[in-house]
Amino acid sequence: MTRPDDENARDGDMTGASEGEAPDKRTAEGPYPPTEAMLAEPVPEALQREQVARLRAAWAPPKAWRYVTAVNNTEVGKWYSMTAFVFMLLAGLLALAMRAQLAVPENDLLSADRFNQFFTMHGSAMMFLFAVPMFEAVAILMLPGFLGARDMPFPRLSAFGFWCFLIGGIFVMGSLLFDAAPRAGWFMYPPLATKDEGPGSDIWLLGLSFIEVASIAAAVELIVGTLKCRPPGMRVNIMPLYAWYVLVVGGMILFAFPPLIAGDFLFELERSFDWPFFDPTRGGDPMLWQHLFWIFGHPEVYIIFLPSIAIAAMIVPTMARRPIVGYSWIVLSAVGTGFLSFGLWVHHMFTTGLPSISLGIFSAASEAVVIPTGIQLFAFVATLMAGRVKMSLPLLWIAGGLAIFTAGGLTGLMLAIAPFDFQAHDSYFVVAHLHYTLFGGMVFPLIAGVYYFFPFIQKKMLSEKLGRWAFWLIFTGFNLTFLPMHLTGLLGMPRRIFAYPSGLGWDWLNLLSTCAAFVIAAGFAILAWDIIRPKSRQKQIPRNPWDAGTLEWTHDVPEEAWGVRSIPHITSRYPLWDDPKLLERLDSGRYYLPDAQEGKRETIITSVIDAKPLYVQRVTGPAWISIFAAAFTGGAFILPTFSLYLPAAISGALAVCCILVWLWRDTAQIPEHDMKDAGLGLRLPVYASGPQSVGWWAMWITMLGDATAYASLIFGFFFYWTASPNFPPEGAVLPDGALVAIAAACFAAAWALTLGARLLNRAGRVGAARAALVFAPLLAAGAGTALFLAVRELDPTAHAFPALMWAIFVWIGAHAGAGIVMQLYCLARSVFGRMTPRHDADIWNVTLFWHFHAISALVACAVIGLAPGAMQ
Amino acid sequence: MSDEREPRHDEERKAFREEADSLWRLTLGPVVWAGHFLIVYAAAAVACEKLGEMVPWLHWSLIALSVVAAAAIAWLGWRSFRQWDVRHTGDFSNPEGEAEDRHQFLGHAGFLLAAISLIGVIYVTMPLIFTGTCR
Repeated sequence: MTRPDDENARDGDMTGASEGEAPDKRTAEGPYPPTEAMLAEPVPEALQREQVARLRAAWAPPKAWRYVTAVNNTEVGKWYSMTAFVFMLLAGLLALAMRAQLAVPENDLLSADRFNQFFTMHGSAMMFLFAVPMFEAVAILMLPGFLGARDMPFPRLSAFGFWCFLIGGIFVMGSLLFDAAPRAGWFMYPPLATKDEGPGSDIWLLGLSFIEVASIAAAVELIVGTLKCRPPGMRVNIMPLYAWYVLVVGGMILFAFPPLIAGDFLFELERSFDWPFFDPTRGGDPMLWQHLFWIFGHPEVYIIFLPSIAIAAMIVPTMARRPIVGYSWIVLSAVGTGFLSFGLWVHHMFTTGLPSISLGIFSAASEAVVIPTGIQLFAFVATLMAGRVKMSLPLLWIAGGLAIFTAGGLTGLMLAIAPFDFQAHDSYFVVAHLHYTLFGGMVFPLIAGVYYFFPFIQKKMLSEKLGRWAFWLIFTGFNLTFLPMHLTGLLGMPRRIFAYPSGLGWDWLNLLSTCAAFVIAAGFAILAWDIIRPKSRQKQIPRNPWDAGTLEWTHDVPEEAWGVRSIPHITSRYPLWDDPKLLERLDSGRYYLPDAQEGKRETIITSVIDAKPLYVQRVTGPAWISIFAAAFTGGAFILPTFSLYLPAAISGALAVCCILVWLWRDTAQIPEHDMKDAGLGLRLPVYASGPQSVGWWAMWITMLGDATAYASLIFGFFFYWTASPNFPPEGAVLPDGALVAIAAACFAAAWALTLGARLLNRAGRVGAARAALVFAPLLAAGAGTALFLAVRELDPTAHAFPALMWAIFVWIGAHAGAGIVMQLYCLARSVFGRMTPRHDADIWNVTLFWHFHAISALVACAVIGLAPGAMQ
Repeated sequence: MSDEREPRHDEERKAFREEADSLWRLTLGPVVWAGHFLIVYAAAAVACEKLGEMVPWLHWSLIALSVVAAAAIAWLGWRSFRQWDVRHTGDFSNPEGEAEDRHQFLGHAGFLLAAISLIGVIYVTMPLIFTGTCR
């Protein structure tokens, strides 16, 4: 994913334009790649000491109570992963309570209602509060280390995501204490969930939507981090496999979560305002929810699985003491699985009466995904066979995980065959299958990663002895809990029942599962204790305790907050193995950015394919504003649960204000000099706009996710048309075509003026650009108003058709509002001298937003203005 | 590119320059698979809902489409195989941090992805051939 101008800078001597020429000609100057002689040049001791002091000061996390404002990836990553771990333990306790209830027939430990809340929250929390956030947490924590970067490109965005997650997670989990938790199952099928009394379903929808937004923020951060923050020289064919997986999983989040967000949007409109999207008596269709949910839900499984396998891909070569076998094959696995996993969703819906040809298509695709999934496991086995294996604790967890995952994969193959699924559907066989895949594919490799990376994270080792105890308790406990469930399921025990009669042959199986569940719990207790127990008496650990070859093991022991002392030039996949001089050169500051002369946090941005240095990015430091923004965003999502719409709107407005302040003060700052010395004779720009800049990429990626959510709404329109014999219903009031045409024209004009403002500004015609930015928001507001008037006569509670027309209007209207705020923001930046013809990153990003918005608006106008008439 | 080997063939030299969009090209095989999958699924769903059966002309069009998709992927795979150039270099893993290895690695990965996409298209076509019915 790159544009031609990214790679235009020539190798050898990067001669570019200097200050004073046209703004888009700012490029790197000086020799690149560095020669051996340049790298061998020593740095004077005194200078080294000064550099270290300046770097330390720039990157130090804040002290005392201000510590919560830290944004360093190491701090946020730790909070993030520990929070996800705690939610996992809580969800595990819910599972123990359920197992206790199911230990004997006709038990009355838990009421039916409480049992429903527990199984709903067990699944929801494990998925939304543990598995996905844990991927983001680990990636935020580890990725800069793997890439030899100082930090992620948008540290405050990581912090914002973390605080959103914490607030949302506490809100959703807290509902259990008030006996008000969601209770319609983790997939919230209507009509059960739409008709459910009490706030449970709203808590699920709004609380988890909030966290999904945080997930998308993390995905944007991680994709940009992988593509643009690699160290100089780390081309795509030598980047750590973890980075490939992060890229794939980030992309999957962008296409998987938005359909669910669109579904949540429709669902909450039905819950709050009685717009009947899923009510068949008024033209709705509960199947639409199932489709949207599972278009998210199945890729979700791989979103959880791939990052953990990525951890294994980092551990296995170290333990085999050789490079990975089949690097390209693993890339194939990651990318191939990422694609194929989007063609499987209907296998969760085999019993909903779909045509058999549809079942066949999805059954076939479900079998096909086994191939890339299996290839990576074979690559690991091949690496271990070809290497000199040192058996250690991380490898033990990986081996256990592979064994369990393989068993889960085999039952997956069985379930992918539709006739078998008809028999096993909704039985404990499925429970056994999904726990085998998730424990083997996610939990075990993740714990392997905890043991392997703990020295990197905390500069301490975990206990070998406790680790073995934890492994054998969890491994045996797991198999004794879930292996019998295959049989329980085949004997006919359905999922989600809170009690069962005696004498059906299920009794001893359930008792066995319950007893073994407590063995798993004991293992997790040991693991948790090992992680949190005080280790202050442990002596200093070696810097590279596993003799690994990848960059994260250049970390500093004792800990330094700067990420890397200097950003290395990388020429192989295992630099620590291949370049014996790397560590010493890195430590003495002989590579790039060894200093922080201006006392600012900086990292190098490189090109996408070949990682040529492009510019120096100033990254943001500690701040309260991202915490405030998260709190108010939380208010905007949480307050509607209690039908407090006005406070929610105020909270939302305050969140927008916080974000504007944050952007205004600390992003796209005009630097004191255009260029700076980046070390090794290379001079790099300190400002970039448009496709060179990370901000533009972040906008691009965000809008891709946004467009996917919007496409899901439009899919809804055509889904209704396909599934219902008369959609739009006969005699329905249609939106006013003339007004829709006016809206379309105004949207197009607002877009053209925004683009014009960018071009005029760059050409130096600042006055004309400002004038365009005055008229563009007026036109956008006019367009929104025209669209509102066009649908005003439609009654959204009457039928799914007018409801969907309104939903599309709400979506487009909200985006137009955001677009107007952005245009005015650029106008203000220009007026206050923060955006100039030479420094125009803001307007580039806003124009990109408007490209996407103009297309969505025109599609909306076509669907609202033209399609209903054509279909009727 | 002082420290890097020069590519051997003229066409390769051209591809070297055009490398910028090759990360996209990597996904072309899977994208063809995805397009084929969506069209087949949507056409079958609409036909079963609106016409009540898989009418023969649609059935045969979809099978023809599958053949076209498979051929397109095969062509992409062949191009990537040439880019990988393993028959000349004998290099299966391209582990060096230089432009040529990066170029060949992207060929290799593209070739493997084309292979898995081809398998995907064949799998998805099989239900069309063996159970081409709505019931």
